[in-house]
Amino acid sequence: MRDRGSALRSMASVPQPGMPNWLIRAGLPALVGAALVVAGPWILDTYMLNILVRALFVAIAALTVDVLWGFSGTLTFGQSAFFGIGAYALAIGFTQFGFGPWQALLSLAAAVGMAAAVAGFVGWLSFYPGSTPLYASVISLVLPIILVQILYSGGSFTGSSSGLVGFESFDLSLEGWFRLAGATVIGALVVASVALSSDAGRVLSAMRDNDERCTYLGIDTSLVRIGLTVITGVVAALAGFGYVGFSGVAAPENAGFVFGTQLVVMVALGGRGSLIGAVVGAVVIEVASAYLSSSLPFVWELIVGVAFVVVIVVLPGGLFGSLRDAATALRGRIGAAPVLALSPVTLATLERAAVAPDRNDVVVEADGVSKHFGSLSVLSGVSFTARQGELVSIVGPNGAGKTTLIRCLADGRERSEGTVRIAGHAIARLAPDRIVGLGLGRKFQAASVFETLSVADCLRIARVKSDPPSFVGASPLLALPAAARAVVESSGLAERLGEQARFLSHGLKQALELAMVLALEPRVLLLDEPTAGLTRTERQVFAGVLTELVARERLCVLIIEHDLDFVRQISSRIILLHRGRVALDGPVADVVDDPLIREIYTGNNRPQRGEVMS
Amino acid sequence: MIAALELVNLTSGYGSSSVVHGVSLEIAPGEIFALVGKNGMGKSSLLKTILSFLPAWDGAVRLDGRDVTRLAPFRKRALGLAYVPQEQALFQDLSVRDNLRLGLSDDRGFEASLAAISGWFPVLTARLSQRAGTLSGGEQKMLIVARGLIAEPRLLLLDEVTEGLQPSVVDRLAEVLAETRRDRGTAMLLVEQHLSFVLGLADRFAVFKRGEVVDSGRVDAGSAERIDEHMRL
Amino acid sequence: MITLVLDIITTAAILFIVSAGLLIVFGVMKIINFAHAAFITIGAYAGLGASRLGLSPVLAPALAFLAGGLIGVAAERVVVRRLYGRPLDAILATWGLSIVIGQLVTLAFGREVQFVPAPVSGTVMILGEDYSSYRLLMVLAAIVIAALFTGLLNGTRLGLSTRAVIMNETLAQGLGIDSTRVRLITFGIGCGLAATAGALITPLASVDPNMGLSWLIGAFMLVMISGGSLLTLGLSCIVLGGLQVLASTFISPILGGLTIAVLAAVALRLRPEGFARA
Repeated sequence: MRDRGSALRSMASVPQPGMPNWLIRAGLPALVGAALVVAGPWILDTYMLNILVRALFVAIAALTVDVLWGFSGTLTFGQSAFFGIGAYALAIGFTQFGFGPWQALLSLAAAVGMAAAVAGFVGWLSFYPGSTPLYASVISLVLPIILVQILYSGGSFTGSSSGLVGFESFDLSLEGWFRLAGATVIGALVVASVALSSDAGRVLSAMRDNDERCTYLGIDTSLVRIGLTVITGVVAALAGFGYVGFSGVAAPENAGFVFGTQLVVMVALGGRGSLIGAVVGAVVIEVASAYLSSSLPFVWELIVGVAFVVVIVVLPGGLFGSLRDAATALRGRIGAAPVLALSPVTLATLERAAVAPDRNDVVVEADGVSKHFGSLSVLSGVSFTARQGELVSIVGPNGAGKTTLIRCLADGRERSEGTVRIAGHAIARLAPDRIVGLGLGRKFQAASVFETLSVADCLRIARVKSDPPSFVGASPLLALPAAARAVVESSGLAERLGEQARFLSHGLKQALELAMVLALEPRVLLLDEPTAGLTRTERQVFAGVLTELVARERLCVLIIEHDLDFVRQISSRIILLHRGRVALDGPVADVVDDPLIREIYTGNNRPQRGEVMS
Repeated sequence: MIAALELVNLTSGYGSSSVVHGVSLEIAPGEIFALVGKNGMGKSSLLKTILSFLPAWDGAVRLDGRDVTRLAPFRKRALGLAYVPQEQALFQDLSVRDNLRLGLSDDRGFEASLAAISGWFPVLTARLSQRAGTLSGGEQKMLIVARGLIAEPRLLLLDEVTEGLQPSVVDRLAEVLAETRRDRGTAMLLVEQHLSFVLGLADRFAVFKRGEVVDSGRVDAGSAERIDEHMRL
Repeated sequence: MITLVLDIITTAAILFIVSAGLLIVFGVMKIINFAHAAFITIGAYAGLGASRLGLSPVLAPALAFLAGGLIGVAAERVVVRRLYGRPLDAILATWGLSIVIGQLVTLAFGREVQFVPAPVSGTVMILGEDYSSYRLLMVLAAIVIAALFTGLLNGTRLGLSTRAVIMNETLAQGLGIDSTRVRLITFGIGCGLAATAGALITPLASVDPNMGLSWLIGAFMLVMISGGSLLTLGLSCIVLGGLQVLASTFISPILGGLTIAVLAAVALRLRPEGFARA
C-alpha cells in the first residue's frame, strides 16, 4: 500500500554552479534565524520567551516526525515516546541523584542510550522485507501507549500520573535557554537539510517513492529505515531532555499518544517534507495554544482540528508546500527562469573492474522450481540453465507463469520448492537486495523509477551500493559503467539529467530503469516485457542495446516478451512456458517452428480450410 | 440503423503512453464482431476503455447512439452492456448462486433465469451452492458467460472467453452464443485469439495490432487465410 | 473461577461491540476510521440524552445508531470520500475529524464527567456466583449485533453487493454495482455501530468528551489482527480479551491494559495480513 499523499513533495534542488549547493540552501535562512535568536530576548516579554523555549524543543521533535514522514514516508505517532524517554531520563536522574555535572552526563547518556535501544527495537519490529507502512504506523501508536502505562506504574520512581517535579535543574537564565533552544533548532534544521539534500539523503526519498525498486538496486531498505528510526529517536529524546531541563516538570503527557498525534498535526499544517514547515507549524501551534487556550479553550482546538482536516484533504503539502506551489506558479507567470532548466551534472564513465574472461559460464540455474498459492500451482518443476552471453526469451500465453518465474529467480522467499543459483551461488531464502549483490539485475514490467527524483539522482541511487555516497554534498559528477552510460546517451536521457523522472515519457522511463539496472553492473539481467507500450523506433533502439550488451559485455539476459517477431529478432534461445511448465527449450528456429507454440498461441483446433462457416 | 456500439477515434493509454490509438468501428444490433490479435496488442485495454475503466483520452463510445464515453463503469450495465472479463472474472469465495445473482440488478428475475441457465450449462444449476473457486476452469468460464447472458444485454463484450478451454467446452460456448444472438438479437464483441471459434461464430472481424485496427472485413471462406497471415509468428 | 470465566466472556463481548463498527469500515473500504472513538462518544451522549429525556432505555442504542449513522454519512461525503487512494492520509483526516467532533461535543455538553444509570441493575446468580446483570446483557447485545450483521451481509442484496465490492471492486463495478454508494452506506453503518457501542457501554463507565479514546487503540488492534473478518474478530476478542482479564487479575491491571496492544503488535509482525484465513 503506497500512500500517494506522502509522495507528493520532494526537495526541489536548485543547484548553482560555483558555490556548494547546501550552503545556499541552508546558509541564508540560518543567518536570519540566528539573528532572531540573538535578538529575541531584547524584544519579547518573559511570558512569550517562556512559551517559545518550550515550543522550540517541541519543534525539534516535530522535525524528526517530518524527516520520518515527509522524507522516508513512515507516518509515525510515536516520536512523543522518545521525547518522553529524554524527558524522564533527566527528571529521574536529577530526582534520584540530585543535580550536578556527572548526574547531568549520566542522565544524558541514559536518554541517548535508552532512546537508541528502544528505537532499534521498534525499527526492527517495524521494518522487515515486505513490511507495510501501515504496520510501522501501528507500532508507532503502540509505543507511546506502552511507555505511558509503564510511567503510570512506576510509583514514586516515575511519579506515576502526576509526573516528576521539584528537582533541581540547569541554572540557566531564560535568555540563555532561549538562545540555547533557538541555536539547537537552527543547528538541527541545517544538519537535516544538508544531510537530506545530499546524495546519501536522496536514498530516503527514493525509498519513499519506490521501496521495491530500492531493494532491487541492492539497498537493504529495512536497515536504512531502522537506522533512521534510531537517529530520529535519539534527536527526539534530546529535545525532551532539553524541554524538561527548562520546564522542570516531566509529565506522562510528554510521552503520550495524544502528543504524538499533535506532532503530526504540526508537521501536516506546516508542510510535510519541508523541514522549516515542521518548525514553523510547531512554534505557531504551541504559541497560539498558550495564548488562546485560556481565552477560547475549546474553540481553539476546534479550529486546529478543522484546519488539520482541510490540509490533509485539500492541501497535502501544508503551508510551506502551498507557498512553494504559489511561488512556482508566480515564477511561471512572470516568465522567470524555470527551476530545473540547467543540469550541472557531468557524466563520466567508470573503468570496468577486470572484465571476466570470456567463458561461457552458467550464471542462472533453476532446478525444480515450483510455486503454489494454496492448492493452485503456478509453476511446477521448472528447470533450466542460462550462460553468459546468452539472450533467453521466455514466452508463453497469459497465466503461463512467466512473471512468477522471474520473481522466483530474483527473490529467495518466493518459490515454494526447488533451488536457484545465480552466478554459482544458491540464493536460498535471500531477500532481493542480497541477490542483487550476487550479480542479478531486474527490470520491472511497468517502468519502476523514483518519480520525484531527478534522472541523475535515480541513476545515483543505483550506484549507492558500489560507490558510498556523500552525506554532505551533492556530487556534480555522475560516474556510470559504460553500458549504463551508453543507454543514457543513446536514449536522450543525457540531456534531461536534471529533470524529475515523473515528467519523462513512458519510453524514457523504461530507458531510465534499464540504465539504473545496468548501473549495478549485473551479470544476469531479468527483463519483464520491456517493450510493452514502446513505439516502433524505441523497440528497434532497444533491440540494438540488448544484443550489444550480450555480445560485448557477455551479459546473460532473460527476457519475457509477447511479441514473437521481436523475440525472433533478438534471442539466442527460447523457453516456452505453458501452464507452469517448460514446454519447449531450444534454439530460436526450433521453437518458433514447433507446432506446439502455434497451437498454444492461436487456439487448439485449427480449422480445415473451406469448412469455415458453420 | 443505429449501431449497438459505435467507437469513434477512441484513444487511451496508461500514464504517458497511449495503448489504443484512434480506433473506430461499428457493431450493428444482433451482429457478432470479432477482434483478433496476439497478446499484448491492446485488445483488453480497448475493452476497458469502452467500459470506462480506462479513461478515454480522445474519441467517443456510443451505445445505441447515446454517448457514454465518460459514464461511470457501473452505469453502463443499466444501458444494456454486459462484460465477460478475461481475468479475475468471478468472485472465487462466493457461491455459484451468488455469482449468478450478481449478473442481475435485483433478485426478482433470478428464479426465471435459472431455467435458462440449466438449458445452456446444466452443470452450473447442479452446483449452485458450491464455491465458485472450486469449479473447474471450463465451468468457471460457463459461469461467467451465463452471468453475462442472464442480464439479457443488448451488447455483450467477451474478452478471450475461449482461453485455456477444452474443445468441447469451446464448442458449447459457441452454440450458446449463437443461440442467444438468434433468439434475442444480442450484439457481441468477441476479443479472441482462437481462430476457429471466431470463424464459426462471427459475422465480421477486425485484426488488432499495436493498438490499431490493421485489417477488417466480413467473415468468409478467405478470412482464415487473411487472419492467419496477421497472426503468423 | 466462575467470576473469572464470566469476566472473560463479558469482556470479549464488550470488545466485540466496540470494534465491530471499525471492522466493517476497514473490511469494505480498507480505511482505518480513527474517528471511531469520536463516534463512540457521540453514541454515549445520545444515550445520555435519551436517559435525560426519560426515553425507554431500549431506545438509547437505536437513537445512538441514528445519530452516529447520519453524522458518519455526512463525514464520508465531505471528507473520507476524497481519501480512498491515500490510506495513511485517511487515518490522519479521520483523526482530525475526531478532534473536531470531540471539541463540538465539549462545547455542547461541557467537559465534566456524567453518568447514565444502567437500565437493568443488580446482579444475577450464576452457578452460585453473583454477577452484574448489565455485563451479562452485553453478551446478548454482542450476539444480536453479530447476528444482525451476518444477516445483513449474507441475507440481503445490499450485503451481496458489499461482499462483491470487498472481494473485487472493479468486477463489481463492471456488474453494475455503484461502489461509491456501497461505501457511503458502509461508513454510515460502521459509525452507527460505533455510536451504538457508545450507548451500550456508558452504564458501565462514565460519559465525557474523550471517553471513546480509551477504546480506540484496543479496537484498532483487534481489527488489524482479525484481518477484516467478523468471525476472526470474535475469536480475537475472546483470546486477547481473555488474556487481558487473566493478566489484569493475576499480574497487574496495568499490564492487563497493555495486553491487547502488545500481543496484537507481535502477532501482526508474524502474520502481517491478519488471521482471517488462518
